[in-house]
Amino acid sequence: MTAYPRENSGELAAFERIMSQCERRVLRVALRLLNNPQDAQDAAQEVFLRLYKHLGDLDETRGYEPWLYRVTVNVCRDIARGRRRSVGLAEVPDPVAPQPDAYHDAARAQQREIIRRGLSCLGEKERAALVLRDVEGLSTREVAGILGSSENTVRSQICSARLKLRDFTGRLLRRRS
Amino acid sequence: MSCSKFEIDIALYAGGDLPDGRIVRIESHLAECADCRALAEELRAGRALLSDLLDEPLEDAMLAQVRQRVMVDLGRAGFSRRSRLYWKLALAAALVLAAVLAWPRHSSKHAPAAPIARVEPSHVTPAPPVNIVPVRHRVVRRRRPAPAAQSGPPLLVQFVTDDPNIVIYWLVNQKPQGD
Repeated sequence: MTAYPRENSGELAAFERIMSQCERRVLRVALRLLNNPQDAQDAAQEVFLRLYKHLGDLDETRGYEPWLYRVTVNVCRDIARGRRRSVGLAEVPDPVAPQPDAYHDAARAQQREIIRRGLSCLGEKERAALVLRDVEGLSTREVAGILGSSENTVRSQICSARLKLRDFTGRLLRRRS
Repeated sequence: MSCSKFEIDIALYAGGDLPDGRIVRIESHLAECADCRALAEELRAGRALLSDLLDEPLEDAMLAQVRQRVMVDLGRAGFSRRSRLYWKLALAAALVLAAVLAWPRHSSKHAPAAPIARVEPSHVTPAPPVNIVPVRHRVVRRRRPAPAAQSGPPLLVQFVTDDPNIVIYWLVNQKPQGD
C-alpha cells in the first residue's frame, strides 16, 4: 500500500479544503481526457491520493492548480494507456428528436457530445493541450509548463487539434445531413 | 482549399494564439478570402463549444463518490499505519512489563533483608544503627543467591533398630536461626 504522510488534523483539514476547491476541475479535466465517467473518477481519486501524499512538498504560495493539472494529465495518460479504447463516428449516438420545450437543451447536449467524441479521437498530447487551453482557458505558457513542453510545441499541438476537431465535427454533421 | 498554407495560422488566430507579428498578414488574407473566413468562423465556433464544456454541470454524486473513495483509501492507509504503530507500542509495553516483572525479583531479594537488618541489631548489640544498615544490606544480597551455604550442612539423624542390619538415616535441613 502507498505510504502516506503522518496524519494530523491540520494537514487533513488543508487537504480537504484543497480537494473541495479543486475536485470539480480535476474531475472535469479527467472526463475530457478520458471520456469515461468511471475512468475519470478513478483518475480523480488517484490525483487526490497523490495530493495527500505530496501535500507537505508543495509550495502553497505557488498554488496547487498547476501541480494538480500536471498530475491529472499524467494519471489520465496512464489510465488511457492501460485501457485503450477506440472511439469512432459509429459510437456517437444519433440525435433523439427533442421535445419543443427542451429543444435548446437537447441541441446543446448533442453538441457537447459531438465535441466530447471529437476530443477522444485526438492523440493524447493534442487532446491534453486543447483541453487545458480551450476548455480550461489556461494560457499557452501555463499549458506548456503543465505539459513540460515548449510554447511552440503547445501551439503546434493545439493548432493541429483544432483543425482535426473541426474536420471531425464537419464530417459528422455532413454524414447526418 | 487553395489556402492550406494559412490553415495553421488561422487555427492559431481563431484561438488568440497567433504571435503578434503574423496577425496582420492573416487578417489581410481573411479580408480577401471567403473560404478562409469560413474556416476561421468554424474554428471559433468549435472553440466556443469547447469552452462551453467548462460550464457543463458535473453530477454531485460523481464528486461525492470520488471524495468518499479518497477518504476511504486514506482511512485504510491510516489504519494500517496505526496498526503498525499499535504493534510497536505493544512490543514496547511488553518490554516494559518484562522489565517491571524482572525488577521485583531483585527487590524481593532486598525485601527480606530489611527485617533482618532491623531485627538483628536488637539481637546483637546496641551498636549505632546508621553504620550497620548498609553493611548488612550488602551481606544479605550476597547470601541470598546461595542459601545452602547460609543454612550449613544438613543434620544427620540416625535411628538404630533392634536389627543390626537395619539403620535409618534422616537428613534434616537446618534453618538459620530467626527464620
